[in-house]
Amino acid sequence: MSSDLLDSEISTGLALEVRQVTKSYGNLVALDDVSFELRKGEAHALLGHNGAGKTTLVRTIAGQVVPDSGAVFVDGALVSLSSPRDAQVCGIAVVDQELTLLPALTVAENIHLGRRDARFFGAATDRNGKIASLLTRLGLAHIHPDTLVAELSLAERQLVEIARALSRDAQILLLDEPTATLSDVEIQRVFTVVRDLLTEGRSVIYVSHRLGEVLDLCDRVTVLRDGRRKATRPVAGMDRAGIVRLMLDEGAVEAARIPRREGNGDAPSVITARGLAAPQLFSLVDLTARAGEIVGIAGQIGSGASSVVRALAGLVPSCTGEVAVDGHPGSPLGTPIRSARAGIAFVSNDRKSEGLFLDKSITRNLVATRPRQTCRHSVVSAKRSRDLGRQLCALVGIDAKRAEDPVSSLSGGNQQKVFIGRCLEHPEVKVLLLDEPTRGVDVAGRAEIHNLVRRAAAGGAAVLFVSTEFDEVLDLADTVVTMFGGRVVATHRGSDIDASTILAETTHGSSVRGVA
Amino acid sequence: MTAENVTAADPDTTVRAPVPSERRGPSSSAPRMLWGLVVLVAVSALALTTDGFVSVANARAILSSVSFTGILAVGTVVIMLSGNLFSLSIGTSAAVSSMLFLYLLPDVGFVLAVLLTLVAGYATFALQGAIVGRLDGNAIIVTIGAGALQVGAVTWLLPGSVQVPDGVDIGFLTRSVLGLPFPLYVFLAVALLVQCWLHYSATGRQVELVGENKAAARAAGLPTGKLVTVAFAVAGLCTAITGILLAGFNQNANLAVSGTFTFDAIAAAIVGGSSVIGGRGSAARAVLGAVIIATIANMLLLRGFGTGVRVLVEGIVVVLVVVAAQRRKRSIA
Repeated sequence: MSSDLLDSEISTGLALEVRQVTKSYGNLVALDDVSFELRKGEAHALLGHNGAGKTTLVRTIAGQVVPDSGAVFVDGALVSLSSPRDAQVCGIAVVDQELTLLPALTVAENIHLGRRDARFFGAATDRNGKIASLLTRLGLAHIHPDTLVAELSLAERQLVEIARALSRDAQILLLDEPTATLSDVEIQRVFTVVRDLLTEGRSVIYVSHRLGEVLDLCDRVTVLRDGRRKATRPVAGMDRAGIVRLMLDEGAVEAARIPRREGNGDAPSVITARGLAAPQLFSLVDLTARAGEIVGIAGQIGSGASSVVRALAGLVPSCTGEVAVDGHPGSPLGTPIRSARAGIAFVSNDRKSEGLFLDKSITRNLVATRPRQTCRHSVVSAKRSRDLGRQLCALVGIDAKRAEDPVSSLSGGNQQKVFIGRCLEHPEVKVLLLDEPTRGVDVAGRAEIHNLVRRAAAGGAAVLFVSTEFDEVLDLADTVVTMFGGRVVATHRGSDIDASTILAETTHGSSVRGVA
Repeated sequence: MTAENVTAADPDTTVRAPVPSERRGPSSSAPRMLWGLVVLVAVSALALTTDGFVSVANARAILSSVSFTGILAVGTVVIMLSGNLFSLSIGTSAAVSSMLFLYLLPDVGFVLAVLLTLVAGYATFALQGAIVGRLDGNAIIVTIGAGALQVGAVTWLLPGSVQVPDGVDIGFLTRSVLGLPFPLYVFLAVALLVQCWLHYSATGRQVELVGENKAAARAAGLPTGKLVTVAFAVAGLCTAITGILLAGFNQNANLAVSGTFTFDAIAAAIVGGSSVIGGRGSAARAVLGAVIIATIANMLLLRGFGTGVRVLVEGIVVVLVVVAAQRRKRSIA
């Protein structure tokens, strides 16, 4: 698409216009007076790092979130998108980053499911014919429409998800991180289909962390930051560095200039992992963390970063490679029990389903993994538990009077502190793993949690954390490891950490992979 | 899911922060206990108006029958607490234990017969627990399967009915001690021991954590498989103890002894107020539940109703308790 055309709004009609939309959750403003225009026949990238408001905007367009104020126009007409069905009626099809296919149904049934015009297909044979041609278009000719989705690979499922959106004959296709689980060949297939759609005059909103794909596929890019629209620019003439500059806020650049704490090079390495690999998740991952060192693993969704810490926690049974803790070499830690015995504590990114015992008291949660500290002659001492609970409450900054209250009565940020507090001042913990330590936590809570993590490191533990928010990585890590596509891109020690490098490395495609 | 998604999609965490958090009492078990007491009072009122209910003989009958159901209910609560619902063959296993005990009795003597029966009960249940806990088997299916296996093995290997051998007296198993039947003491002792184990041992406390949130317990490095195995094994000990007492009570043993024990035990565990889905419950509540169930059974018996009506009424009470617990849970959430 030529750039002179892009500059004249009149020459192309708008397929979709979002006008001055605002949405807040409590005191958190997710979208602040954001406007967004999608032209017909255009591929428009939506960028912004975490917390920028990207997902809220996507959900607004998909009818999953109703904004507090503002309006949405489809094809020039004001519409009310108050449910996903409304969006479907308006010709908007969404391919979510989370797979929504039902594994127990066939491909055809899944594609057929939830259609607003179910009659469209007519007889089953006719239906299968149409689906087969759709699948062929996506390079899935080898898959029969009657195949069960359960038998498909993750990437194939993602492509079927796209086929389903296409089958709805949508004018506007919203692809939210569609390539996170796909290989390069599969990504190219998706691109081919998307380009076909564009020439047919349909429009595509493309949400991705991968800048290479954006440059390759899209005509324009809108960058959100802190809930506002930072810029909308034609892609032609932009490069990665340009986009990265738009995405970065000055604060983060400033933070990056603060000299890093030089990790104590002489401290013994507490955990060393060599050649970690798990099928479909990551491969050839080497990591080291010294006592007192905070290692931040930066990577977008699908980069494998989260899976790596899960593997170290023993939660990825298929993981192979070598892990040595405290100089004791061993096979990969196949079960969480083995990891715990080796002195590894894990704070999951999902404190509700994989973290806290919500019905139990704050104290019980804090001492859950400390039988040795709470028992006397192998009998649980109520007094010891209580004292320890109070002491840990004080440590994590929760009123000790509440120590016996159920942990579910705390706010999200405080719950997270309890979760992390479980691993603090723990004589058996040598390595602390955290996956998204401040997910869903407000700014104040975030700072407190960061201090807790620093404290754990100061106490001699080796800390490894994963974050998709690179502000957090810059803020907290002594050493930054960047990951992309299941591989480590680079390891930055001490002062050579730089915001744009991290962003580039975690969003780059294959060009950087060679360097690693 | 992007992490941005999280700030947006997880509004409750951010929204909740400025709102003063609701403060619940230190223990939410109080209203539950209260509810149990209400049922107890209602049942007692009905019972007291039943002819012949208030008599020493009848009280003794209730206390005797409460013991068997009660010990099984304590075992059931431990399984429930570990987050694995209950054993659907606990009554069968009790009958099998009873037969095994009487079968061993003439050859090995009383003490060894007791020990071997306990070991067998422990092992049978531990195996089921291992399948459930380590291999993620479904507790309902595993325990039904185990029940069928036990019935099959016993039918094949043992005589259909085993009598107390001549010249051996195990009458003391049901004799009164200080005016109360011996099984009642055993029941209370078992309940007390299990309660202490749950409350004062690291393992017991961890069983509760696994039951509340298995994924969290796993991620925290707790030995979830072992804990579930142990929980089942404790239930197995309870079952074996019940079997031995039943042998003394009936003076013989066959598979039909199991009667409605499985359902009675589950009903007592649930009516006592322990959470069916795990994480919350106690042996003390099992005692309360067993008393309620035994009282209902006895009252209906005196009013001339058969087993069918009794099971029906028990069923209704269980449903009411489950519904009430669910409503209460929702009102809190």
